[in-house]
Amino acid sequence: MKFAYYPGCSARSTCAELNEAMHEVAARLGLDLTQLDSATCTGARELRAIDPAGFHTLNVRILALAEREGLPLMTVCNTCTLNLLDAHAAFSDDPALADEINGRLAGEGLHYSGRTRISHFLWVLYEDIGVERLRSMVVRPLNGLSVAAFYGCHITRPPMRYGFVDSRNNVALERLAEILGCRPIDYSGRTECCGFHTAAHDERVAIKLTGQHIKSAKHNGAAAMVTPCPLCHTVLDGFQREIERDMGETLDMPVLHLPQLVGLALGLAPSVLRLDRHMASTDAIATLIAP
Amino acid sequence: MTTGEARRLGQAEHADGLAARNQRIAAGEPIAVRIRRGGPDGAAELQDFAVPYQKWMRVLDALNWIAENRASDLAYRWFCGSKMCGTCAVRMNGREVLACWEAVEPAMTIEPLRNLPVIRDLVVDRGPFDRKVAELEPWIERSEPYTGFPEPLSHKQMKHASKALDCIGCMCCYSACPVIGLGDLTDFAGPAPLVQLGQTALDPRNDPGKVGRSLARTGIFNCVSCYKCEEVCPAAIPIVSQVIEPLKARAASLVPAMARHSLALRAVVAERGRVDPSALLLRVQGLRALVNVRRALRLLLRRKIDPIKTFLTRRTPAAAAARRWLGGP
Repeated sequence: MKFAYYPGCSARSTCAELNEAMHEVAARLGLDLTQLDSATCTGARELRAIDPAGFHTLNVRILALAEREGLPLMTVCNTCTLNLLDAHAAFSDDPALADEINGRLAGEGLHYSGRTRISHFLWVLYEDIGVERLRSMVVRPLNGLSVAAFYGCHITRPPMRYGFVDSRNNVALERLAEILGCRPIDYSGRTECCGFHTAAHDERVAIKLTGQHIKSAKHNGAAAMVTPCPLCHTVLDGFQREIERDMGETLDMPVLHLPQLVGLALGLAPSVLRLDRHMASTDAIATLIAP
Repeated sequence: MTTGEARRLGQAEHADGLAARNQRIAAGEPIAVRIRRGGPDGAAELQDFAVPYQKWMRVLDALNWIAENRASDLAYRWFCGSKMCGTCAVRMNGREVLACWEAVEPAMTIEPLRNLPVIRDLVVDRGPFDRKVAELEPWIERSEPYTGFPEPLSHKQMKHASKALDCIGCMCCYSACPVIGLGDLTDFAGPAPLVQLGQTALDPRNDPGKVGRSLARTGIFNCVSCYKCEEVCPAAIPIVSQVIEPLKARAASLVPAMARHSLALRAVVAERGRVDPSALLLRVQGLRALVNVRRALRLLLRRKIDPIKTFLTRRTPAAAAARRWLGGP
C-alpha cells in the first residue's frame, strides 16, 4: 500500500518523534511511504488568512507533487489536513482559480488535475488498512490503559468539511482505542480546542484552555491522552509544565501521538516509538504494558 | 470502509443529522426536559419537566408547553419563531441552538447562553455584545463620492460581506467561543461582533482608514480558529473562513502591527520553506522568547528544539519553492 507522505513542519521539528514513530508503524502496517522532499509548509492558519493566493499555491503544489507520483497523500497533522482539503475544494469549485494556480505551477513543470486523495493516518487505518486487518495485527493489546482521545479541531470541524452537526459525535479515536485494547474514557475536552494557533504571540490562551481539558481527562480516569495532531500535542505535552504552574496542580499526563499508541499495540518498543522524547514522562505507560 | 467514511464515524451512530433527530421520538412519548432556572446572582437550580411529544416538536414548542402548563413564570425569549429574529438561542445538551429551529431530543438539558450575564432563567443580557459592536463603529464611511444608483459592485467584491449579512445576531457563536469564555484574558471581540463588523468592513466602498481604526479594536488575531462558531451558526455563515480570515487579511495590510505573528510565519516559510518554531518565536516575540531559559533547556534536552537548524538556514528545495510563491527576502 503506497502513499505519498506529508509529515508537516511540526513532525519535522518540535514533534520529530511523531515522524520517527510514523515510519516505524508504517513499516509494521505495510504502508510504503514516499516523502515529498520539496513539499513546503501548508501555511498553518496564518497564511490562509493573510495571503490566500500563496496559501492556495503552496497547498495545490503539494497535491500536484503527490499526483505526479500517482499516489494518495497521507498526513499526520490536523491543520495540514484541513488546509489541503480546503485548497483542494477551492481548486475543484472554482475553474478560474484552478487555471490561475496551474498557471503558476507550470513555471515549476507541475500540474494538478484534482485527483489526489488526501487522508489523515487516522482515516488510513480505517479505510486502507481496515478494522479487521488492524485487529489481527495487534500483538500486544493495551489492556488496562485508560486513554482520553483528544481530537483537536481541524479533524472534526468545520461542519461544511466533515458534515458533523455536533462534532462531539465523532467516535473515530475511541473506536480505534478499543481495537487496540484500550479503555477509552469520556470527558469534556474530547473535541475542544488546545489554543495552539495563537500561542506564538500569547501562550496564555492555550495554557488556560488546555489546562481544563487535561484536568477533565485526569478526573475521568485517563492514564494517558492520545491525539492525531502534533500541534495539539505541543500544547498538551510541551506546555504541560506551564499549565501545571498556572493551575497550581500536578497533572503528570502522558500524551501520545496516534502512531505511537498504534505502534505499542503492534508490539513496537516504547524506545523505538521515541516515547522518551516527550516532555511529560511516559514511563507509567511503559510500565503498564511491560510483559 | 470507503473513502471519506472514516472522517464521519459517529454521524450515523449518534443520529447526527436533522432527519435522524426528528425520528428519534414517537408521538405521545414524554420528553424529559431539565431547565436551568435562576437569576443574575449565579444561584441556579435545575428543574425537571415531562413534556408530551408531538410530531415535529421544536425546543421552543417544549418551552411554550412548559410555560402554559407547568411553569408560567419561566423566563425565555422568542419572537418570530422562524429563524429570523435571533432572540431564542439557548444551549441544549451543551450545544447552542435556536429554540425555534431545533428538533427536541428525548432527554434535554436547556441552559441560557454562556459568556453573557443571565437576567433570569434562559434570558441573557445582550448589552455587553451591543456595546462591543457599537465600539467597533460598524458602518460605512465612503472615501469616494457616491456615484448614484446602481453602484458598480460585483458579486465577487461583496462575496465576504454578503455572507456576514446573513447574521441574525442570535449570539450562538458568542456563547460557543472558547476565547470569549476566558473573559478578559485577551482583547478578542468575539465572533458575533466580528461578523457584525464584517458586514461593512468587508464592503469595498468603506474607507480603508476607517476600517483599519475599527479592526485595531478587535483583537482579531486572538481567534484560535477552532470553528466552534461555524459549527453552531444557525445561519450557516462560514464565520472563520469567510469573515474572520478576510478581516485578518484586511488587518494585515491596514494595521500590520496587529498581524505580527501571521506576517512572521509568512516570512519564515518564505525563507525556509517550512516553519522552524524557534525561528518563528524569535521573530514574533523578539528577546521575550529568550526569557524562559529553563524551558528552552528542557526543550533542548528532549531535542524539541535545534539551535543549529534555527540559526543556519539551509537552502532546500522546499525553501526554493516557498520563496518563489511567497516572495522571499
